[in-house]
Amino acid sequence: MNRALLRISLACLAMFVLLLLNVNYLQVFRATALAAEPGNIRVFDQQFTYQRGAIIAAGDRKDVTIAESRLIKGTDIYQRYYPQGKVYAPVTGYDTIYSQTGIEAAENGLLAGTSPQLAVHNLTALLTGKQKQGATVELTISPAAQQAAYAALASDGGRPAAAVAINPSTGAILALASYPTFNPNQLATFNGVQLNKVDGQLLNDPSQPLLNRAISQTYPPGSTFKIVTSSAAFSTGLIASTSTPVSAPPVWTLPNGHTLTNYASELCGNGNPPIIQAFWMSCNTAFGKIGMKLTAPVLRQWATKFWMNKPLDIPVPVAQSVYPQGPGWTDPSLTAYSAIGQYNDAVTPLQEAMLAATIANHGTLMRPYLVQQVVGPGLSVISSSQKTVLSHVDTPKVAGEIQAMMYQVTHNPTGTAYGSAGPQVSGGITIDGKTGTSQNGANPNGLDDAVFTCFVPGSGGQPSPIAVGVVVKEGGFGASAAAPIAVKIIQAYLKAHP
Amino acid sequence: MSFTASSEQPVPLPHGRRGAELLMLAFALAVVLFAYSAVGLGLTGKLPGLPVDFLVFAAVMLAAHLAVRRFAPYADPLLLPLAVLLNGLGLVMIYRLVQSGRGGNPGYQVTGLPPTAATTQLLYSGVGVVAMVAVLVLISEPRVLQRYTYTLGALGLVLLALPAMLPASHSVVNGAKVWIIFGGFSVEPGEFARLALAVFFAGYLVAKRDALALAGSRVAGIDLPRARDLGPVLAAWAASLLILIFETDIGTSALFFGMFVAMLYIATQRTSWLLIGVTLFLGGSYLTALMFHHVMERFTVWLHPFMGSNPTGIAYQPVQALEGMAFGGLFGTGLGAGQPYHTPLVQSDFIFAAFGEELGLVGVMALLLVFGLLVQRGLRAALAAKDPFSKLLVGGLSFVLALQVFVIVGGVTGLIPLTGITTPFLSQGGSSLVASWILIGVLIRVSNTARKPAPQPIQDEGMTQVVRAA
Repeated sequence: MNRALLRISLACLAMFVLLLLNVNYLQVFRATALAAEPGNIRVFDQQFTYQRGAIIAAGDRKDVTIAESRLIKGTDIYQRYYPQGKVYAPVTGYDTIYSQTGIEAAENGLLAGTSPQLAVHNLTALLTGKQKQGATVELTISPAAQQAAYAALASDGGRPAAAVAINPSTGAILALASYPTFNPNQLATFNGVQLNKVDGQLLNDPSQPLLNRAISQTYPPGSTFKIVTSSAAFSTGLIASTSTPVSAPPVWTLPNGHTLTNYASELCGNGNPPIIQAFWMSCNTAFGKIGMKLTAPVLRQWATKFWMNKPLDIPVPVAQSVYPQGPGWTDPSLTAYSAIGQYNDAVTPLQEAMLAATIANHGTLMRPYLVQQVVGPGLSVISSSQKTVLSHVDTPKVAGEIQAMMYQVTHNPTGTAYGSAGPQVSGGITIDGKTGTSQNGANPNGLDDAVFTCFVPGSGGQPSPIAVGVVVKEGGFGASAAAPIAVKIIQAYLKAHP
Repeated sequence: MSFTASSEQPVPLPHGRRGAELLMLAFALAVVLFAYSAVGLGLTGKLPGLPVDFLVFAAVMLAAHLAVRRFAPYADPLLLPLAVLLNGLGLVMIYRLVQSGRGGNPGYQVTGLPPTAATTQLLYSGVGVVAMVAVLVLISEPRVLQRYTYTLGALGLVLLALPAMLPASHSVVNGAKVWIIFGGFSVEPGEFARLALAVFFAGYLVAKRDALALAGSRVAGIDLPRARDLGPVLAAWAASLLILIFETDIGTSALFFGMFVAMLYIATQRTSWLLIGVTLFLGGSYLTALMFHHVMERFTVWLHPFMGSNPTGIAYQPVQALEGMAFGGLFGTGLGAGQPYHTPLVQSDFIFAAFGEELGLVGVMALLLVFGLLVQRGLRAALAAKDPFSKLLVGGLSFVLALQVFVIVGGVTGLIPLTGITTPFLSQGGSSLVASWILIGVLIRVSNTARKPAPQPIQDEGMTQVVRAA
């Protein structure tokens, strides 16, 4: 009987081993997944009982707290507070009792202290009897640039608009503003009924304040896409140099019978100007013809090098900018439209900034990022961002040629942005840029979207400090509506970073 | 150096190890006292007042120790302290759950848990200890039980079948038709039936084991029993299926049948019985899963706890248990500081989840090891026992204890489909607790007999030796 008893003992042992393995699996390996399960009551209740980490705009010399958790007087629960109100809403997003957006969502694990990266901190807190605490997220955002961006967008007649500023040599995002926007403090309430009411109002507001136009919405790039077309033309050798003459009639009949005209059907130089003049005057026929010669796949290839058609998160997810491959997308006439950003290519304001940033950084696109570093409760750095190359778009030579053309846009008296971003407007700051005015078929009052992408070139061996992309919905001519906003952001940033 | 020393070595009297038992009992009581204090700290931030309940508990358990000292001086010294530790921690958890949402404590009140539940459970602990002592007093030798093989068998079957025959108002609690309810007093007879039937199986199998072990033919390397010897196995299988169908209780059915198959295997050492038993059980389970919606539902919930409208649907309870344990993580929230009250029936079927949430992985691993140790001591007593009846009885009871822990803890932690049975010593409820203490009584009795030293040889009789019967 003893042999059978020993085997029964082994069976009992096996059962206990299985139970022990399973509780380990459940309480350690599966714990994170179960905590993330929607409707987890315990996690829901817990989020208010300890201090969620702060979010700090650390792009200038003086840090500015843009989100923090404060203890409600007379209780032991914490409430989220956004000291700067609306200004940073597109960056921080909101943190309601049910969900988060923006950085609040992208860095939720670290802010809430549930991330595995904080396990050691939490264990130490547990053993020393200290309260669990979330990590502080330090952003690359420059308070000076962000304030200027928000103020410029808000004072622009209430038109929906967005602006993004990037440090071209690192990819650090310096400003990310959207208008109209919302006050995240309104959503940081414990009152579920109140929250639903505010949330419903924001959702039903026709001005769409919850929409983050800087990264979640795409717009036709208009003539700013000529940067992409030029990159492809120079790189493929179709155009030898900036002085190569190109055909630029005032009106050009496309193969499909439609006509492509220059802005106000004006004459472009002598009708056969060097490409640099066609660029600073933004002649549509010249670049339409170049695009058609390049063909759609080549244009799309360069668009993709600029990171269109590709996913991106900063770490907040960014809507994809596209050069789509719809039915008949290789049609030469449609390609001519695409080459001037007028068919169905569409970009985010962030992508606009990335166009200029690539040229500013000598043809190399750095990965845009918002989080500079994450600091644990004990002031130890948990993670820190390193600049990384996202894409090698152009050779320095090609980038230099495009930079020379963008310089003329703001410095040649016949350049499209001479009056709005030229040196006499910018207070002596050299800004190289490209305007865009995109016709919007769905636009009821006929006004075009205004687009401007620009950068301050590096000087004296220093890299370019800032590149900016601005889109103003129904802003009309790009230079007049969008360029001044970019100038204000650049002025504010350079003042804070002399 | 002297060669005149006597060649007679003094025969060392084997230690009864009662001192060790007392020491470990004190340790178990200390753990329980700490846990009790932790509940107060966790709930209110203050130590609870004079722990009258604890003092009563400690006094009862010390009395149990004295009874063991008196009636089973050679018993395994671990059995009693392990049972006391489990019983005590169960009491602490029920006390903690009773406090929830009462007297200004955080959380809300646990449904079905009256304010007096902890006191009642303490009372049942006392009754359990009395029952254990009664076993020790009434059954001086395990063999005494063998006389009542068929009496206990009949009693077991009646107890098992009784709830099925009673009207629902006298037998159904929370959907399981396993109770006998009269005048506000309820008993779960299945808990006692298992013990009675264990005695019956042991007695029956000892008598028939030669036929069951030897007769039969060999097919494909497996010794198959004779068709007529299959009778009792099929009868046990049919009975367990009937319980399953009429009492809607998969757990009890699994324990009952598992115990029978294990004892059959111990008695005959024939693997074919195991294969036949497991095949029959799996086949029966599959058929009932097809026939009965609620059985199928258990499988669905087990495989997809977060499916569809869950966790608000049928999986609400297991999902709360899983999320609670996951929330507890490595070290738990601390006693009194978690939210075990979110899980319905946390005081009975799901009490293990409450421990998982508040004591964490380390706590439940410790609990599982205590259970494992208890099973191991039981199996050790079976191995050491000299008569086949004791071996079978204690082997079967130890196995079924392990199986019970496996079925309920495995169910609560999502390892296997959930079946509602009690967690030995921990769950709220008198029947299970008293039956568990009776089981401890049987284990103590058998281990005492096994470890008792053989009568001392009388040296004067020269060549005469007392030979130990193995």
